[in-house]
Amino acid sequence: MPWGLLAPELGLCLWILVMLLADLAPATRKPQLSWLALGGIGFTAVLLAWQQPLWARGESFQSMLAVTHFSGLYKCFFTATAAVVVIMTRQFQRHLPAHLGAFYMLLFTALLGTFVLASMRDLLMLFLGLELLTFSLYIMAAYLKAEAKSIEAGMKYLILGSVSSGFLVYGIALLYGFAGGTSFTQVQNAFTYALTVPATAYAGMVLVLAGLGFKIAASPFNLWVPDVYEGAPTPVVALLSVGSKMAGAMALLQLLTGIFAPIAAFWMPLLAALSVATLLYGNLGALAQTNIKRLLGYSSIGHAGYLLMGLSTGSVAGAEAVTYYLLAYLFSTLAVFLVVIAASDAVGGDALEDYRGLSQRSGFLAAVMFLGLLSLAGVPPLAGFVGKLLVLLATVESGRLWLVAVGAVNVAIALYYYLLIVKRMYLDAPRQTQPIAVPAATRVTLYVLVLGILVVGIWQAPFLRWISAIR
Amino acid sequence: MAEAVFFYLFTGAMLAAAWSVVFNRQPLYSVLSLLVVMFCLAALFVMLQAYFVAALQVLLYAGAVLVLFLFVIMLLNLAPEALARMRVFTWQGGGALLGLWLAFLLARIFAASAQDEGALSAASAPRGSVEAVGQLLFEKYLIPFELTSFIILAAIIGAVTLGKREVPAKR
Repeated sequence: MPWGLLAPELGLCLWILVMLLADLAPATRKPQLSWLALGGIGFTAVLLAWQQPLWARGESFQSMLAVTHFSGLYKCFFTATAAVVVIMTRQFQRHLPAHLGAFYMLLFTALLGTFVLASMRDLLMLFLGLELLTFSLYIMAAYLKAEAKSIEAGMKYLILGSVSSGFLVYGIALLYGFAGGTSFTQVQNAFTYALTVPATAYAGMVLVLAGLGFKIAASPFNLWVPDVYEGAPTPVVALLSVGSKMAGAMALLQLLTGIFAPIAAFWMPLLAALSVATLLYGNLGALAQTNIKRLLGYSSIGHAGYLLMGLSTGSVAGAEAVTYYLLAYLFSTLAVFLVVIAASDAVGGDALEDYRGLSQRSGFLAAVMFLGLLSLAGVPPLAGFVGKLLVLLATVESGRLWLVAVGAVNVAIALYYYLLIVKRMYLDAPRQTQPIAVPAATRVTLYVLVLGILVVGIWQAPFLRWISAIR
Repeated sequence: MAEAVFFYLFTGAMLAAAWSVVFNRQPLYSVLSLLVVMFCLAALFVMLQAYFVAALQVLLYAGAVLVLFLFVIMLLNLAPEALARMRVFTWQGGGALLGLWLAFLLARIFAASAQDEGALSAASAPRGSVEAVGQLLFEKYLIPFELTSFIILAAIIGAVTLGKREVPAKR
């Protein structure tokens, strides 16, 4: 059997056990868990690079998992996200309970879940990958056991997540009944060659979309977002906001351009409508927020709206735009969250008012936050601008000009509330002027993320070529 | 003949126990009645020669799931007045609707299988054995099977970390 195809996944499985065992070491001889976790992520990256020549062949493993350019590209995204989350956890460590081995282990199980989703070729793998990812996140969200808000976040996420998993499984069952199998080829053939697609198959598709809509926080499945974002530990919020959303959008991309492609005429208007609802809910909701984590939660709903807009085109250009958007979103969001983590202790909380005069206490943190927020808002020449431009262009091509108009209006709304944060950081007077110390690991990571925001925004050609190799 | 006798015996016991699950006022007795239901169901599986499914039925439902139910009920430790307030018949409308829906689905399945003689028996015949399940589990569904074990691992670790009482750290 071609085990080389599974090398990165097997590496992750190995490291899940390594993290678990490392936690058992006696306190005096305990390894630095964050470096061990980073080592595991480096190991996975090496295995991915080693596997890279196999991507072009697109082979599948027992028709369950396939290694393609698409999966390889997204696995790189997820690995990068996990690496930054480890740095965030390092910075945040003080707040977390003692046994961090389990926390890092859950990060690796979440990463394994995203890898499975990236390679999936079967509806079973869709379910298992999502469960692996969200199970880990349920537990991580409640990790601050002493804080009622964290428990509340974990509880709300668990209950709503279970309901959405129920939708997903019911949808998969209906599709299985329609196609007689769960593999993507079987389902796609059933949709392609069916004389009339029965209503149950449509219902199955809608239920699967609902289950995934929960993951990317699309309206109306996003009610959990603000509370979970506010209560969960900030590194977990970053993982939720980037990793989970990216996984959901990627899964949608695979399903919509794969098994659901034959009935594109049915889901395209559906997604366009969802996109409008999500954009307005996220961006209008963000206007009233006073807590930066809640605000970022609402803004992440807004970004899900743009992702849905790109998906609703159903074209290759739309798929590429969504991938580029996710790449830009990854750098910008992680940069903003890392600044929030680095500053929150010194400024005394997560309220927006706490960020008054941040520029006078740490010019570096304020500048990174400024760049990250502008990139999220879509200001040229930063990464987020190119992502939004590509999504809007693909939507223009698909002929839904009203949707483009809604998207453009939302850019303006988002810019307003992002700039309000910037105003607080630069124009308002600080409560105290003591400088904020930024540890070296955090500082280097922030430089890398800023470099990412700038390079992805200015020098798009290599990334576009990279992404267009998907198909 | 003996088969018919055993079938009616187990089915009768199962229906009686199921009746007791629904109408017993004490949740504890309900769960114990459910245990009887599960055992009778396992016996029916044995009569269909699905020995593996029968064993799983006993191990998983009777062994694990019901013990969990018992734990939860004993943990809640409902007072008699709270039990008296719980009205069994609050949900009867919904239950009746669901029952009608189930009857409708079963009728459709039997109607379909009456047209296509043997479809039901052909679909269910060889799949209940240990061999057949093992073949599927360790060949076709090997990867999903192993992944499930990682999900369970994550859940166990999560339950332990979240449920553990935090010892004040020695600094």
